[in-house]
Amino acid sequence: MSDAAAAPPAAPATVPIRPDLYVAAQPPRLVGSRDRVTGQVFFPAEAMNPATMSEGTLERHEFDGGGRLVAWTVIGRGLPGFDSPYALGTIALDAGPGFIGQLHDWQDKTLRPGMRVRLAIGHIKREKDGTEVLGPKFVPVEG
Amino acid sequence: MERIFVIGAGMTTFGPQPDVEAHELARRAVWEAIASSGVAPQAFKARPSVAVAGHAYQGPCFAQKTLMKIGLQGLPMVNVENACASGSTAIIAAAAMIRSGEAELAIAFGAEKLTRPGGGFLPIVADDLESAMGRVMPAAFAMQAQLHMRRHGTTREQMALVAVKNRRYGTLNPRCHFKDEVTVEQVLASPSIAEPLTRLSCCPVSDGAAAVILAGESALRALGLAPRVELVASALVSGERTPFGIVDDKSEMSLRAARLAYERAGLGPQDVDLCEMHDPFTIAEIMHCEDLGFCAPGEGGAYVESGRSAIGGSGVAVSPSGGLMSKGHPLGATGVAQATEMFWQLRGEAGARQVPAARVGLTHTVGGGVTKLEAGASAVMIFRAL
Repeated sequence: MSDAAAAPPAAPATVPIRPDLYVAAQPPRLVGSRDRVTGQVFFPAEAMNPATMSEGTLERHEFDGGGRLVAWTVIGRGLPGFDSPYALGTIALDAGPGFIGQLHDWQDKTLRPGMRVRLAIGHIKREKDGTEVLGPKFVPVEG
Repeated sequence: MERIFVIGAGMTTFGPQPDVEAHELARRAVWEAIASSGVAPQAFKARPSVAVAGHAYQGPCFAQKTLMKIGLQGLPMVNVENACASGSTAIIAAAAMIRSGEAELAIAFGAEKLTRPGGGFLPIVADDLESAMGRVMPAAFAMQAQLHMRRHGTTREQMALVAVKNRRYGTLNPRCHFKDEVTVEQVLASPSIAEPLTRLSCCPVSDGAAAVILAGESALRALGLAPRVELVASALVSGERTPFGIVDDKSEMSLRAARLAYERAGLGPQDVDLCEMHDPFTIAEIMHCEDLGFCAPGEGGAYVESGRSAIGGSGVAVSPSGGLMSKGHPLGATGVAQATEMFWQLRGEAGARQVPAARVGLTHTVGGGVTKLEAGASAVMIFRAL
């Protein structure tokens, strides 16, 4: 008879915050769209080009995800599921788009406007059922 | 074009009201507005009338659910959502329906219940990426504050003075959530919500409802009512795509809505005596004084510090009702509550918080976090005393 009572509990699942938003490689990459005619990059990906109001010219585009810190804030107590305190940054991505996302590994660093950030994939929040949600985060690079 | 007049106004107290359903809050506001209009409730069934309700979270057919309790079922009704600008949108839509000939009378109202155990931020929008990743509104405004401080030298103390001013006016308005004053020191020392915004730099989480009654000129004459407050012009815009969403040191969409409203009114910022502004966070009032043309870009901090935006100051009296800082911000109710303040101020009925010689008033709302847009909607309305 198998001892089912001794089986360890299943580890909580991890899910990406959105399908095909990033590639969890080393180094990680963001996934957006690039217009093959104009060269403009969109993140997150678009179904059609809202700048030219046209369809059929966007391609799936993986890119570095590095950028510069434009502004930031530390949220003292977030919504349930968000580990607090957490930091958000307004990022000017090197590829062109802007984005507001969580900072990673920021606590012991002196944040400055224009500071370089690199992409990491990490913990965004935890759902009520224990599922961990992963997503793109931005690591301030000192020096 | 048919002129539009505000003939009645009603507003519940704003604040935690856990035992009152949103539609009951709305009923109370609408009933007060009807009572103040001099128009019998039966007139809304006897004469072509419409109702427009603004709200963000109150579920389907909110206008119908509310007005049936007064016996006003059967009218054409529209329910609108534009986040923080839902109430203003309701008024603008109602006015448009009068101008189009659909109606002679309109009930425009808004309501929201936001309080729940623990209070806190507005819910995450699951299908909006930045919201889903934790971009709560205080955080967005906090980054606006950081930019404004960096680019224009705006100080934490200047931002705190917005809360001090508006909380002082809250003591003069029995309908406010907060009816006590704060000092600069208390604002700066309160717990951090999203650096540099502290708890007392942010509006409280509130429940509430407000309503106005609109009438076209022909209805006014038929009903034998004297025009007292006119909705002279309005403008509703949605946000443009921006590099960083709402994070900037100005609100382009507020500036655009204001410019349109001024053009339509044939007026300018120099003509405005008072403004009920979208000030859920202290930095918002500083920025929007610039956006609405009350002072030059970058001068919003000095504007509040100098006392020009005070009741009786040399500039535009901003948020004499106590603003969102004191009232709170039940989303759908806010824009309509601003209009009720215009109604009372422009009729000289605002009591201790009366703006002297109030002739022209402007209301402003902006809101709705959408990734890649500045925001969802901004509405500016200009009212005039007759």
